[in-house]
Amino acid sequence: MSQSTINKILLYVLIAVCALWLVIPFTMAVLWSLVDPAEPWTADKLLPPVMSTYRWSHMWANSSLKPALINSYILAPSVAVVTLILAAPTAYAFGRIQFPGREVVKLIALLPLVVPGFVTAVFFTSIIFQMGLHASRFGAILFAHSVILMPYAIRILTVSFEQVRQDHIDAARDLGASVIERWKVAYLPALKPGIMAALLIVFIQSIEEFAIAFIVGSPSFVTVPTLLFSTLGQDFVRPNAAVLALILIVPNVIMMLILERLLKSANPSLSSGKG
Amino acid sequence: MTLRKWVTVIALLTPGLGLIIAMIGTVVYMAIAQSFGLYSLLGDSEFSTEFWDKMLGRRAYYKSVKYSLYIGTFSAILSVALAYPLAIWLRKPFKGSLAVGAILKAPLLVPGLVAAFLFINVISYNGILNQFMQWLGLWDEPHRLQNDRNGFGILVLQTWKQMPFALLLLTSAVQGISDDILDAARDLGAGTFARFRKIIAPMTISAMQAALVIIFIGAVADFSFQVIAGPTNRQSLAQFMVFFKDSGRWHDAAVVGVTLMGAALFGSALLAVAARFVLKGGRLK
Amino acid sequence: MLKKLLSTGIAVLATASVAMSGSLEGKSWEEILVEAKAEGELTWFIWYFQDEFRDVAKAFTAETGIKVNIPEGTAAGNNDKLLAEMGRETGDIDVISFGYENVHAWPLAKLFQKIDTVLPDITGRKQDVTGIAGEGYVFAYWGNQTGIAYDPDMVAQADLPQTPEDFAAFWAENPGKFGFNYVKGGSGPSFFHNTLRVLSGIDYFGDAPVEEKLAGLGAGIDFFNEHAENYVITASNIDSANRLSDRELWMVPAWEDHLAGLQNRGEVRKELQYYIPEMGMSGGGNGVAIPQNAPHSAAAIVFIDWLTSADVQTGFNSRFGTAPAHANSDDSKALVSNTQRAFSQAWPSQPFKQNVEDLFVEEVVLNR
Repeated sequence: MSQSTINKILLYVLIAVCALWLVIPFTMAVLWSLVDPAEPWTADKLLPPVMSTYRWSHMWANSSLKPALINSYILAPSVAVVTLILAAPTAYAFGRIQFPGREVVKLIALLPLVVPGFVTAVFFTSIIFQMGLHASRFGAILFAHSVILMPYAIRILTVSFEQVRQDHIDAARDLGASVIERWKVAYLPALKPGIMAALLIVFIQSIEEFAIAFIVGSPSFVTVPTLLFSTLGQDFVRPNAAVLALILIVPNVIMMLILERLLKSANPSLSSGKG
Repeated sequence: MTLRKWVTVIALLTPGLGLIIAMIGTVVYMAIAQSFGLYSLLGDSEFSTEFWDKMLGRRAYYKSVKYSLYIGTFSAILSVALAYPLAIWLRKPFKGSLAVGAILKAPLLVPGLVAAFLFINVISYNGILNQFMQWLGLWDEPHRLQNDRNGFGILVLQTWKQMPFALLLLTSAVQGISDDILDAARDLGAGTFARFRKIIAPMTISAMQAALVIIFIGAVADFSFQVIAGPTNRQSLAQFMVFFKDSGRWHDAAVVGVTLMGAALFGSALLAVAARFVLKGGRLK
Repeated sequence: MLKKLLSTGIAVLATASVAMSGSLEGKSWEEILVEAKAEGELTWFIWYFQDEFRDVAKAFTAETGIKVNIPEGTAAGNNDKLLAEMGRETGDIDVISFGYENVHAWPLAKLFQKIDTVLPDITGRKQDVTGIAGEGYVFAYWGNQTGIAYDPDMVAQADLPQTPEDFAAFWAENPGKFGFNYVKGGSGPSFFHNTLRVLSGIDYFGDAPVEEKLAGLGAGIDFFNEHAENYVITASNIDSANRLSDRELWMVPAWEDHLAGLQNRGEVRKELQYYIPEMGMSGGGNGVAIPQNAPHSAAAIVFIDWLTSADVQTGFNSRFGTAPAHANSDDSKALVSNTQRAFSQAWPSQPFKQNVEDLFVEEVVLNR
C-alpha cells in the first residue's frame, strides 16, 4: 500500500479513537456546564433535564475568575521563559560536555520532580518566606515555580543539545563564522523543537500547580488552580468544574496552535536540507 | 579534565542545577531529617528510628510501595509505547498532520483534576459507557467500573494525560533522523520492525529515556487521580503520606515521603537503564 | 549559604517564636473595637460554602464597617498555609476555620492567640466539641451531624435499618447498594466507629488504655469482613453523595449540612431523605481561631465575637440547618427531628480514634 493510503486509513482510525478519547469527555463537560441548579442531572437521563447558561454567568461573575485568569496567564509564560534561561547552561553541560559523574548529576537534577507535593507546599514555601521573597508574591511564585519545574526544561533541552550535529558546528567554524553565527546556524535549528517543547511543558505545569501558588499567593494573588481546587476539592461541584474546565481550554488551545505552528517551522531536518 | 574545564562545567551548572541543589536539597534534607524524628514541625525534636521501625512493620506500607511502582511503570511504558508509532507516523508532514498533531496533544491542555472528573463521569455506574454497553447487549446490567481494584482507571487516566508529553519529546527526536539512513536500510531489506529496532530506537534513546523517567516519576507520585478514581482498597504512596499528615503524624508522613522520593528516583533510573538495554539489543552502551 | 538557609529555615519553623504583632492581651474591649475599626478589614480562611459566607459576612460589614475577605481555598491548602506561615512575623490569615478533629493534632499555643480572656462575654459559647477542648484558643461556630442519607424511591421509611444487624440484613438483600468512605470525609468513619462501638460492647469513650480497647474490637472488625462483598467503599463524602444521587447506591452515610447544601445548590436530588439510626451516628463541629501572626488581630476577634453570638448562630440554624454553637440560640430549624437528634453520639477521643481508623484500614479495607 502506498504511504498516502496508509495515512488515510490511520487518519480514520485516529478520528474514531479521538471520538472516544476526546470528543465524548468534552461533550459531557459541555453538557454538565449547562445543568441548571433547579434540577440535577442524574446519570440515567441522556441529557440534563433543565438546561441553562446560569452556571456560565454565575462563574463568569465570580469575582475571582478574571483576576485568576490574568494572573495565571501572565505567570505561566514568565515561568516558562525564566526556567528556560536558567536551565539552558546546565542542559548544555549535560548534553555536550563529558565530565565524570555526569549521569549521577543528571539524576540529581530530577530532585524537584520527586519531592512530594505537600513537602514542597509546607517546607519550600516556608523557606521562601524566610528568604523574604514574598514581598512580591508574583516574584516569589515565579522563582518557586522555576526551581521546581527546572527538571523538565533541563531534560528536554539536554536531549536537544545532544542532537546538535558536531559536523555542522565544525563546518561553521571552519567557514569562519563568529560564535553567534555558529549558534544561529548549527545550534538553533536543532534546539528549536526542544525549546518549544520545554516552553510548552513548563507553561502547562505552571498553569496547573496549586500548592505553592496557593500558599504564597493567597489571598491576594489568585491563580486558576486555586479556583479549580476550590471548586473540585470539597464538593466536586460538577457543573461549576465543567464551566471552569471549558473556560480554561480556550487560551490553552490558542497557545497550543501557536506553538504547533512554530514547531512545524522548526523541523531540524528541513533545515539540514535532507529529508 | 583540566581545572579550567571543571570551572566551566560548574559555572554552567550553577544557575540550573545549583539552584535545585540549594533549594530543593534543603527541602529533601528536612524531609529525611523529619523521618528520623528531627525538625519536628509541631512538637519536640529528637532523633529516633522508631518511625522507620513502625512503618516497616505496616502491611499497608508495602502494599503502597508495590502499587505505586506498578502504576508508575505501566503508565510510563504504555505512554511511550503508544507515542512511538504516532511519532513515527507524524515524522513527515502530510495533509492534516498539523491537525492530527494538535488533536493528539490536546490532553496536555486539560488540567489533571478536570480530566479525572470527566473520566469518572464517563465510567460512572449509570453513565454513558455503561449505558452504551447495555444498549449493545454486551452487558445485562451496569458494571461498577469506578475505583476498580487493579487501578486500570488510573492507568487510563495517566496514559491519556502523559502520552502527549511522550509524543512531544519523541516527535522532535524522530524528526532528527535523516531519510538517507532509513532508505538505505529499506533498500538493504530491513522490514518495518527491524528498521524501528535497529535504527529509530537507538537514535531516539535519549528522548525515550527522558519521557520514561519523567512520566514514571509523575505517575509514582500521583495523588489527585488516585484519590478520585483509584482503587479504594489500597493507597498510593502520596495518598498514604497525606493520610498521616492529615492526622498530624508528620514524622510518619516524612518516612513515607522519603520512600516515595527513593522509589521515584531509583525506579526511574532502573527503568531508563532497562529500556536502553532492551532497545540497544541487549547491550548497555 | 546552604547552611544559613537550613538553619534559618528549620530554626524558625521548629521554634516559631511568638510574633507579637497586634497582641490582644491586656487591652480592653473598647480599645479593641477602636483598633478593629481602624484596621478596617480582615481575611477569613474557610474551605466550604465560601459564597454563602460572603453573603453572611455582609451583615457584619454593615454593622461594623469592617470588610471581610473570604478567599478561595481548600481545607488542606488552608491548613498547609497556616503551618507554612508559622515562622513569618506577619502572615496573611486573620481568622481560620477548621474541623475540630484537627484540634488534637495541633499545638494550639504555638499556632494561635488565646482569646477566651479577651472576648467580652463567653458564657454560652461552645469551645469544646464532642470531647475535644478548644483550650481558650478555638471557639465553635458550626455544629454538624452525621447520619444516613437514603433514596426514598428505593427504601421505604419503615424498612430503614436501625442497628448493625439491620444493616447486615439490608446488605444481604441488596448487595452493592450501600457505600461509605473511610478517608476524605467523616461520614463513613462515623458509620464504622459507631458500628464498632455497638458490636464490640466496649466502653468506647472510657479511660481504658488504647491497646486494651483496640483488642476488644474484634467482633466489629469480623462483622465488616464477613459482609465485605455486600457493601461498597467510596472515595469521599462527595463521592458517596453523588453516587446516591446518580442512583447507583441507595443509602450512604452523610453530613447533615453537607447534604442540605448540595440539595440547595441543585447538585444532588432534592428527593433524598436523611435519618439518624438508633445505633447512633456522631456529631461534630468546626471552630475558628486567630493565628499568632494575624495582620488584623483586633478586627479578627471582633468578628469571632460576632460569629459565635447567639443571634448569628440562630441565623445559621435557620439558613443551613446546623446545630448552633451558642446555648441561647434557637435550634428549631435543623434538618433532623429532635427525637432522632437524641441518637447523636460523640466522637471517640484521640489517640484512640486514630488508632481505630488505622486498624480499620489494615484489617478491613486492605483485605478487600
